[in-house]
Amino acid sequence: MNAQTWWLLLEGAWTTAWISGVAIAIGVVAGLAIALVRMARIPVIDQVLVIYISLARATPLVTLVLFIFLVAPTFGIVMNRNIAGIMALTLNTAAFNAEIWRAAFLSFSREQKEAALACGMTNGVIFRRIMLPQMFTTSLPGLVNEMSFLIKGSPAIAVIGIVDLTRVTNRISAVTYEPLPPILAAAALYMIIISMLLKLQDMAEKKANRLTM
Amino acid sequence: MPDLPAVAIERLSKSFNGIEVLRDVDLTVNRGEVVSILGSSGSGKSTLLRCINWLEQPDRGAIRIGGQRIGVDDNGRRMPARELAALRAKTGMVFQSFNLWPHLTVLHNVTEAPIHVKGVAKKEAVRTARELLDKVGMAHKMEAYPYTLSGGQKQRVAIARALAMSPEVILFDEPTSALDPELVGEVLGVMKDLSAEGYTMVVVTHEMEFARAVSDQVVFLDKGIIIERAAPEQFFTAPETERVRKFLELKQ
Amino acid sequence: MTEWDIIWAARDDFLYGFANTLVIFALSALLAFVLGCVIVYLLEGPKSGPRTLLRWLINIMRTLPFLILAYLLYYGLPTLGVRLDAWTAGVGALIVYHGAYFAELLRGARVVLPGGTVEAARAYGFTTFTMFMRIILPQLLIRTRPLIGNQLVICLKDTAFLTIITVQELTAAANSVQSTYFIPLEAFVVVIALYWLISICLEVTIKQLGRFGKKRGFEHA
Ligand SMILES: Nc1ncnc2c1ncn2[C@@H]1O[C@H](COP(=O)(O)OP(=O)(O)OP(=O)(O)O)[C@@H](O)[C@H]1O
Ligand SMILES: [Mg+2]
Repeated sequence: MNAQTWWLLLEGAWTTAWISGVAIAIGVVAGLAIALVRMARIPVIDQVLVIYISLARATPLVTLVLFIFLVAPTFGIVMNRNIAGIMALTLNTAAFNAEIWRAAFLSFSREQKEAALACGMTNGVIFRRIMLPQMFTTSLPGLVNEMSFLIKGSPAIAVIGIVDLTRVTNRISAVTYEPLPPILAAAALYMIIISMLLKLQDMAEKKANRLTM
Repeated sequence: MPDLPAVAIERLSKSFNGIEVLRDVDLTVNRGEVVSILGSSGSGKSTLLRCINWLEQPDRGAIRIGGQRIGVDDNGRRMPARELAALRAKTGMVFQSFNLWPHLTVLHNVTEAPIHVKGVAKKEAVRTARELLDKVGMAHKMEAYPYTLSGGQKQRVAIARALAMSPEVILFDEPTSALDPELVGEVLGVMKDLSAEGYTMVVVTHEMEFARAVSDQVVFLDKGIIIERAAPEQFFTAPETERVRKFLELKQ
Repeated sequence: MTEWDIIWAARDDFLYGFANTLVIFALSALLAFVLGCVIVYLLEGPKSGPRTLLRWLINIMRTLPFLILAYLLYYGLPTLGVRLDAWTAGVGALIVYHGAYFAELLRGARVVLPGGTVEAARAYGFTTFTMFMRIILPQLLIRTRPLIGNQLVICLKDTAFLTIITVQELTAAANSVQSTYFIPLEAFVVVIALYWLISICLEVTIKQLGRFGKKRGFEHA
């Protein structure tokens, strides 16, 4: 592989990174929002969210990407590839994140809440000052885990022609006629990115475990 | 054929990380005999017991089960895994924490090893298991899963499980230490019956009355050395060493 | 003719894709599961060179996207003189990839399995193989049931990646129907519903199997 193919590969890596990054950022926040709404148990909305989560967890990313990219124009919406990719990844990851956040809510101990109420805190203060920081710590390992799943699923966006780190190997081998080196190089780049996330997850787990002591 | 001892231990030594836990232990357990091993915590009782069936590998010394050397041959070569397993099958072990197999019913806990280790026919194994469970008073719980049983019941099942292998010797490692006081009696009762029936047993215990009533031989371990061995009457009434006297005083 | 009539007319395409997805999924999930069990069995015992290598391989799989492995088998292997058709390469990749994940989740349970039951088996003369099959594996399976369920759903979803390496599975069917008749909404609603159906069946089955462990007191463990 020469400098030019490496450059192409890095461009692919960058595409994977930024699209995943945007999806992760929106997905984490959207997940929290969904979890909060679900905690409120509003009729109808709650059922709709349950169905959304169940569907999103069962739908393959490839299928979802195609669905969004191909269906939008039939409603007269002009869909940019990257936006379709981001939407699909986000819809998928938000569902998983919502469950992670919700589990953190549900595990929040009643005693702590009572202790805070006994100190005269209002529900709003309790949520912001006591619950949220702890929920963040307990959710973080799960959220990071979901981030690595998202990156592992991100090659799905190649199906609508986005040249990500996986798809770029096709491009390179179309020129070099040697498919193996770019695929291995791409694999190595994925390994680096995801290893870092796994390491981060490890650290987050240690921190979360301290909280339960 | 001369009547070989059920267990013969010669000059057994074992260290963990350079710390000697057993030192030159000699012990012979004859067929039908009950030997109690006493000693304070950390004196090496469990280690000695676990060396007998090679759950721990001793550094030096020889152990024979019914005359057959376990673990290594006389030239120091390691025994093939299959032979080791076959020899282990000739010993039964009862653990402090029961160690029943939680995914199997009481009945299957008892039949599991006979069927899958010894190759006993299933029907035969079930018949034997029924008898043994009846003997330990657990026949009514045959279809129950271990988690539904009390500690005493679990331990009685564990004893039936050991008996099912028709072992040369049964090794007990503090079988009543994890039990609530009111459940100790039912397990000791079963063990007493076994000794009366002539089973060979090596028992690590802190139950002095039991040791006194049931043992043929009492052995006292102190820092990995057998410092006293005697018939129970003599051991409990006229101990030779100051160490044992102190130990017995504390147990009063 | 409404869009739904067109879908109905094209039902054979969907059925073919659906059947293919089911076969690919069932075959690779089953073999991956077996592979995972075999790997955990091989990991049984003291640390050694081959075992460390095996754990490395598992960890490598955990850091790779599934599609990269599929690429490796489909586009990469021919360089080494091994030419697999898309279907075989895809199924092979699914087996290896998910085999590693099954191995990892079983290994996680093995590490925290209370040692007493294993020790008892050893004391009773079980050979390593019999002990693994009769004492260790059943407990691992009971304890990892929900994780196995998750992994199965992930495996099902990964079958859709094979459309990228030209396997004619369910997503490919939707894509080909929509491009022929220009009815993407209906085509994809149908296949997403089918994926949903399979995964709900999986979840129900896995939940039912929970009774097995509950009866044995595992759920509070
Ligand atoms: N696997 C091991 N690794 C390192 N040290 C060990 C191991 N097993 C036992 N030991 C040490 O060997 C010594 C003897 O232990 P052992 O369990 O045989 O004592 P014990 O007489 O059975 O005590 P207890 O009455 O508390 O059960 C102890 O100091 C213990 O810490
Ligand atoms: Mg002990």
